[in-house]
Order: sequence, then C-alpha cells, then structure tokens
Amino acid sequence: MSQRIRVAASLAAAALLATACSQGSATKAPSGEGGKVTLRYFTFSAAPDHVKDLDKIEKAFEKENPKIDVVVETAPFDEYFTKLQTSIAGGTAPDTFELNYENFVTYASAGSLLDLDTVKGDGDPSVYAKESLDAFQRDGKQYALPASFSTVVLFYNKDLFDKAGVAPPTADWTWADEQAAAAKLTDKKKGVFGDFQPVQFFEFYKTLKQAGGEFLSADGKKSAFNGPAGVKAAQWLVSKVGKTMPTEAEIGGTADYDTNLFKSGKLAMWHNGIWQFAGLKDAAFTWDVVVEPGDAAKASAVFHNAVAASSGTKHGKEAWAWARFLSSSNTAATTRVESSWELPPVADQAVLSGYLKDPKPANRQAVFDSLKSIALPPVIKRQQEMQDAVTKQLTEAAAGRKPVEEALKTAAADVDALLS
Amino acid sequence: MTLTAVRPKAGGTRERRAPRRRWRYAGTVAVFLLPSLIPLTLYTLIPMVASFWTSLHEWDLITEMRWVGLGNYLELLGDAGTRAAFLHTLYFIAGYLPLVYLGGLGLALLLNRAMPGRGLLRGVYFLPVITSWVVVALMWKWLLNPASGVVNWALGLFGVSGPGWWTDPDWAMPSIIFASAWKDLGFVMIILLAGLQAIPKEFQEAAMVDGATAFRRFRHITLPLLSPSSFFVVVISLINGFQVFDQVKIMTGGGPGGATQVVVSQIYDLTFRYGRAGAASALSWLLFALVLLVTIVQIRGQKRWVTYG
Amino acid sequence: MGKAIRYLLVGLGAVVMLFPFAWAVITSITPSDAVLAVPPDFTPDDASLDAYGKLLDTLPFWRIVANSAWIGAASTTLQLVTSAMAAYAFARLPFPGRGALFSVYLATLMMPLPVLVVPLFIEMRTFNLVDTYFALLAPTIASAFGVFLLRQAINQVPREFDEAAVLDGAGHFRIFLYVVLPLIRPALATFAIFGFMASWNSYLWPLIIIKSPEFMTLPLGLATLHGQFTTEWDVVMAGSVISVVPILILYVFAQKHVIASVAQSGLK
Repeated sequence: MSQRIRVAASLAAAALLATACSQGSATKAPSGEGGKVTLRYFTFSAAPDHVKDLDKIEKAFEKENPKIDVVVETAPFDEYFTKLQTSIAGGTAPDTFELNYENFVTYASAGSLLDLDTVKGDGDPSVYAKESLDAFQRDGKQYALPASFSTVVLFYNKDLFDKAGVAPPTADWTWADEQAAAAKLTDKKKGVFGDFQPVQFFEFYKTLKQAGGEFLSADGKKSAFNGPAGVKAAQWLVSKVGKTMPTEAEIGGTADYDTNLFKSGKLAMWHNGIWQFAGLKDAAFTWDVVVEPGDAAKASAVFHNAVAASSGTKHGKEAWAWARFLSSSNTAATTRVESSWELPPVADQAVLSGYLKDPKPANRQAVFDSLKSIALPPVIKRQQEMQDAVTKQLTEAAAGRKPVEEALKTAAADVDALLS
Repeated sequence: MTLTAVRPKAGGTRERRAPRRRWRYAGTVAVFLLPSLIPLTLYTLIPMVASFWTSLHEWDLITEMRWVGLGNYLELLGDAGTRAAFLHTLYFIAGYLPLVYLGGLGLALLLNRAMPGRGLLRGVYFLPVITSWVVVALMWKWLLNPASGVVNWALGLFGVSGPGWWTDPDWAMPSIIFASAWKDLGFVMIILLAGLQAIPKEFQEAAMVDGATAFRRFRHITLPLLSPSSFFVVVISLINGFQVFDQVKIMTGGGPGGATQVVVSQIYDLTFRYGRAGAASALSWLLFALVLLVTIVQIRGQKRWVTYG
Repeated sequence: MGKAIRYLLVGLGAVVMLFPFAWAVITSITPSDAVLAVPPDFTPDDASLDAYGKLLDTLPFWRIVANSAWIGAASTTLQLVTSAMAAYAFARLPFPGRGALFSVYLATLMMPLPVLVVPLFIEMRTFNLVDTYFALLAPTIASAFGVFLLRQAINQVPREFDEAAVLDGAGHFRIFLYVVLPLIRPALATFAIFGFMASWNSYLWPLIIIKSPEFMTLPLGLATLHGQFTTEWDVVMAGSVISVVPILILYVFAQKHVIASVAQSGLK
C-alpha cells in the first residue's frame, strides 16, 4: 500500500472511530416518558409455552410498580448464551437476565453480576427455600435470586404396565427392577419401548451418584468418575440403547422424539422433568410418576433457574425489585404452580400445596419426595466444555465405537485437562 | 510519455502543472476506491486486526482480556480437538470437491449439447444454488431422517436397511457432504458450461477430421481448454470448503459425538459456548494461514495444468 | 454416448434436484399426525394448510420475508456500486501499492466469519447501532468477492475501447459509466445474484446483532422455527416453502438472463 493511502486510510478510520467513541459514551439512557424506568429482562424459559404466564407476572409487577416498565426479550436455550455473552462483551447486557445453576458460577466469578445485597430493599430472605437461596451465593454474596426449580422423575404409562401384567414402579425400585420391567415391556414389533433415558452428561452425573460415585474429587480439582461406580453408571445408560430404548438413528436427532413417543402411548418408562406435566394433561392413557429408581443410593436431578442483574445496570434497585417479584411474589409463585410451569423456590408450603391439588399425575407427592436426596450438577469454570466432553465420550460408547471403560478414561483425561 | 517526446520545450510549464495533475489523479483513484475501501476497513479489516489482538489474549467475552502472548497458538497446535477439527475439514473437502467437480463437469458436458428443454434443465440444476442454506439443510435433515425419512424408506424398497445418516458418527459427515454437493452442483455446472462454450468449435471439428475418438478429443482438447474454468472452481470450492459451517451448524451442530466438528464450528464453539474468544481467534488465524498457503500453492502450481488459450 | 442414455442421466439428475423441493411442499400440506408415517404418503388425501396457519401465528412471517427482500435488494445495490468502482480502480488506474492492496482485499475472503462477529458487534455497539437495519447492512456494503469478480471482467474489456473514448476527451468517470459498465453487464448480473444470495442466506450475523422480531430475517426466522417445532416437520417445511417462493418467482423471471450472464461473465 502506498504511504499516502495508508496514512489517508488510517486517518479516516481514526476519525470515524473517534466520532463513534464520543457517540458511544452518550448511550441512549433507557428511561421512558414521565420518569419511567425501562428495565430489560432476558429469558430462555418462557418461550414458547409460557410467554403468557410470564406476561401475567410482568403485568402484576408493573401494576405494583408503576414507575418501572419491564421489557421482556426471549431466546431459545440454544441461542440464549450466544446472545447473552455477545451483549455483555459489547456492553449492551440486559439489566436483568435468567441464569441456570450450571452457568451461574461462570458469570458470577467473571464479575458480570451485580451483588444484589447492595441494592436490596425491604424483603425477608426467609420466604425462599434456604438451599435454593444458598445455591446462588458466591463468596458470601447473593448474586442471583432463585426463580424456579424443577426435578426429574420417572414417568410411566400405567396402561402398558397393566397390559403386560407387570407391577408398576414404586419408590423402592432399583435399576434392576427397572431393567427387568423394561425388558418385559419392550415390544419392538409394535414399536413399543420399555425405557427412555438420554445418554448424556446430565443423566450421567446423576446415575453416577445413584451408583454411589462422585463426579469430582472433594477439593474439586480432579475428576473422580473414572472408577467402578462411573463404569457402572455409564454401562447402565449405554446398555439400554437399542435394547429397551430406541437408538440414535431411530430417534433421528429430533429433540421431542421421546415426548411424542410417550404421548402416543408407545413408551412405558420415561426419565424426564416435571415441566412435562402440562403437556401430558390430555394424554389418552393413565400415567403417573415416581421418584427415579436408584442403585446404591437414591439421587434425583434438580434444575435451578435464577434471576440475576447485570453489574453494569443503571437501575440496580429496580432490577432487585423485579428479581424479587419474579422469584418470590405470590402472583409469580401461584402462576408457576397453576400453569405447571416450574416450581417456585419458596419456603411457604401452603403455596406449594396448591401444586398437589392438581389431580394429574396422581402421585405429585413424588416431586417433593425427589427433593429429599438430590444430585446437583458438578460445576466448574469451563462448564460447557466439560459437558460436551463427557457427552461426546458417552455418545461414542453408545454408538458402539468404544468400550465404556475407554470412553470414561478419555472423558476423565479431558475433564482433568479442563480443570488444570 | 509521448507528449514529452513531442514537446520537449514545454518542460517549464509541465513542472508547475504536474503536481496538480498528480493530485487530481490521486483524487480520481480515491473516489473510485474509497466507497469500498472505507466499509471494508471498518467492517472487515478492523475486526480482523482486533481478532489478531484478541488471539494474543485469554478472553471469555465477559471479564477483562488477559495477555498470553502466543500461548493460544501453542496450546492449539498441541490440542487433540484442533487436530480433529482440521481432519474433519479435510475429510469434508476430500469428499465434497471430487463430487461437485466431477458431477458438475458431467452435467456441463451433457447439457452443453443441444437438446429440447435444455434451458429448463439448466434452471432446475441451478435452483438449489439460489436456495438458502438453512432451507437446504432442513430439507436434507428431513429427507435423511433415519426413522421416517424418504431416503431410508426408498432404500428399504431395495432391501437395504439405511444407515443412521446424520445421527450416526460414521455417516454424519457423508450426509453433510451429500447435501453440500447437491446444493453446489449447479454452480460448478454453470461455470464449466461457460468454459465449454468458450472453446472454439474449430478445435473439435479439426480433431474429428483427424479421426480422433470422442474420449481422445475430451482428454486432449476439451479438458486442457477447460482448465482455466476448472482452476477457478477448484480455488473457490477449496476456500469455501475450508470455511464450511452453516450446513454443519444446522444439520448436526458438530455432532454426533463431535464427528462433524470442523474448524469453523470449533471456532464458533470456542467463542460462544466455551467463552474462549482468544483461542477462537488464534484458531481463525491458523485456518487463515492454511487457506492462504493452499491458495498460493494453487496459483503457483497452475502453470503445470492450466492452459490459457 | 447414446442419446437415450444422455436423456436418462440428465432426467434422473433433474429428479434428484427437484425431489427435495417437491417433498418439502408435500410435507407442508400433510396433516401433522401423518407426517412421520412410514411408508410416506406422496399424495395425502386430507391435505391441509394448517401448518401454514400455525407458522403465521408463531412469527410475523410476511414481515420477515419483506425484511429479507429489501435488505437483500439494498445490500446488492450497494455492493454493485462499491465493487464495480473499486474493480475499475484495480483494473484501470495504476497506483503505487495497487497489487498489495488487492491482495489485502483477497485475504479478507479467507477469514472465517464467526471470529469477526464479536469485534464487529463491539464496533456496532460503539456506533450505537445494535438492533438496527443499518447494522444488518453494514458488513455487506463492500464485497471483496465482487471486486475480484468484476476486476476479472474489466480486465477482459479491450483497452482499445478506453483509448477511443480518451481520444474523444472522456475522463475516467465517463469511461467507467459509458464504456466499461455496459460491457461488463453480464458479470454485474452474476454478481448481483451472488450478492443477493449472500444477504438472503446470512444467518450468524443477524442472529447476533438483532434482538427485535421486527428486524428478523428469513434464515433467523427459519432457525427459530426449527428450534421451536423440532418434530413438527410440516411447519418447518411450510416455512421453507414460503422462503423459497419469492426467490423462485424472481428466478423464473430472470432465469434466462441469469444463466446467460453467468455463462458470459468471464468466469473462465
């Protein structure tokens, strides 16, 4: 490039950047007319089924806080964190946003969350279930308020059990019972499968705990799953594929395959979350749920979502008010309970008892029973990489490309590398 | 130059005028160049420089950048994931390039001769080229659905039990290759058709008079004279092949079990899923270097097989 | 080669090319409960347009199509102008460092997009342009590919034409407008198609920069659809059909010119 052009080009670029920067500092302040504060909230759990429920909560909040205007933005879970990260990097983070427990640590330790204690107003922390509240603390600071939780239980199609003359599952079941029943219930000619449990990270850490193992060492610095319990858990998951459960090819990569299989009455047992209750209301057969079978121990997965505020927000107080309302207000709690969305993490059992009134499924109590021994997902800084690495090796084993032992050994080495 | 020779005595006035004329000329160049140079600088070159700067840091997009020098590059060069991503990309190219090139060449030869409905047929083959990748990927995902896809049903009619296609680690990459070749076949065909039509008829006729067989005519006349078009196709297809991403993202997301994780999908994951924008930038520059090298080798090597008529 | 074989091959190929489109249309009008049926039903008796209704309920699909169309048109026009002018400079206006600058243009083609997206986003936010039409357009104003393609075409225009114009007293602007541009029309048409396609297909950048549904473009809308209706192939295919129709109509009208111009565009 000639000297002159180089100079001209860099001058032009510099001039443009200079204007840009001066503009950038005068970012349009997000406040509406009449001193109203516009508060942005970004969420993945509302769309597409519960947008109306969130809308209801939002309206109630705005009625109580006429000076705050909440603007909801939604994204599907697959794209949610791509957009959230870019917006934080670009300094356009939403004032408040949803975080799941697995990603909470990453964001909290990166300093992108506001310490909510610094902006909190009146409000008794004892309205929250203590474990839920504590889950979103880090270094003694409350970085997010728990908004909802859900657990994974064993769904079953009672009609299929009755037809096959197999006794339906009980809370005392172990893997062996599940396996025996699944084998009897599978009828490939009719396209009926006995069992469905995805082969991936989230099922693995849980079954590992059920088998009596731990995912990470006590100090959290090394993987601990590559042992007899890990092999047993992985073997348990992998052994179902193609026998009592459809293969990846039969599933065809479609995300709701299992939902549709169960809804069409062709799946006897299904490991899934309580968020499926609403969708199963009109099922043409009798179904119920029970706490997942264990092996050496019982352990149920719990998924936690929370509301956090961006450390860069100009409306800390309003952000707190909204987070508080969304997570603990009566409206929010009852809306979540009534729409069988997810459970509010509130201490008040009376609110939750409304959940039990719904007649379907009959054994709703199992949801609360499952909370008695829970398995929280292991959380590290490089969370997503760890999840991918473990799922990748399990997939290889399930496809028969590797023995389970070798897959676990590789996964352990990968996870150790991520921790070092 | 000629002016100087004709009017040597006008030197005095020229000296005063020349700088002005030179400035005017520079102005003309600038007017033609800047409308593309300014946006290119702003929206491509500056981000490129920024990405190089990022590649020397560790950055999760959330916290402050941390300087690591060449750390990212060194780590990537010894990393099994990077190696796998490059291998998968080469696998894609090895399957895709011969398929589109030979397929496109065959079609171009077939459709170069007069036949009724030729225009319509060319249009049909060009249709996938103008269809968005999201649509093509979704259509193929549906066609190649292992359980209820039409392809496996058709294979079943012949007693063949179809594979798991994009759900099977062994078949996922071939599925992506098929879909990509299907989409780009028309593009290659059109460019080679253009090349074929530029070959003067006399060459063929002369060869026919000499009694050369159809194969010999193809081998010794058509193919060499088509080589400039072939060269263009190969260069562009290779650049695109190294950057394969959209179809991977939509069809398999890099799975199953990482079997289709190519370099650019690895870059995407590093940036947006793993919070490692520094490593992602370093990987982009490694890919950039490789593509640049391959392209230079091709341009240098073209003398050996490309004949410019 | 026998004529019959030739027809057979070309015909078979055409079926392979067309079938996916036909199948998408059939799937989109199949009632949702019959979509996953094996063997597939090629002539659904109870064809329905429910999937299209569902689609339009979920997303402002016409708005999305309109967005894609006008952004495509705008970016194509801008690219044509900027690229043709730069191509002229690279082909006809010698200046020091021209070769090096041209190499820089070409080099930008080799940089993978995902890594440019983050710095570009930060830049857009400094300009205060996140979630605007301009941000969607900005990265497509200049096209290195276009400059490359059109420079090839201009290089093939015999210089005698320019020289004749110079003798008539024409400057570079007049030569560009009245001599060169008309002669490279086929290449311009070709590039217009590629430019439009690039904008029409662009997925990652809109995903990052757009928040409001009213600025959504087609690939984004389709991907959202695919995320929400994973197994409802009838709805996903309905979206695909709708997104192909506008470009198909455009193409039917322009087909003759497209093929002819690509064939003459100097891509040889």
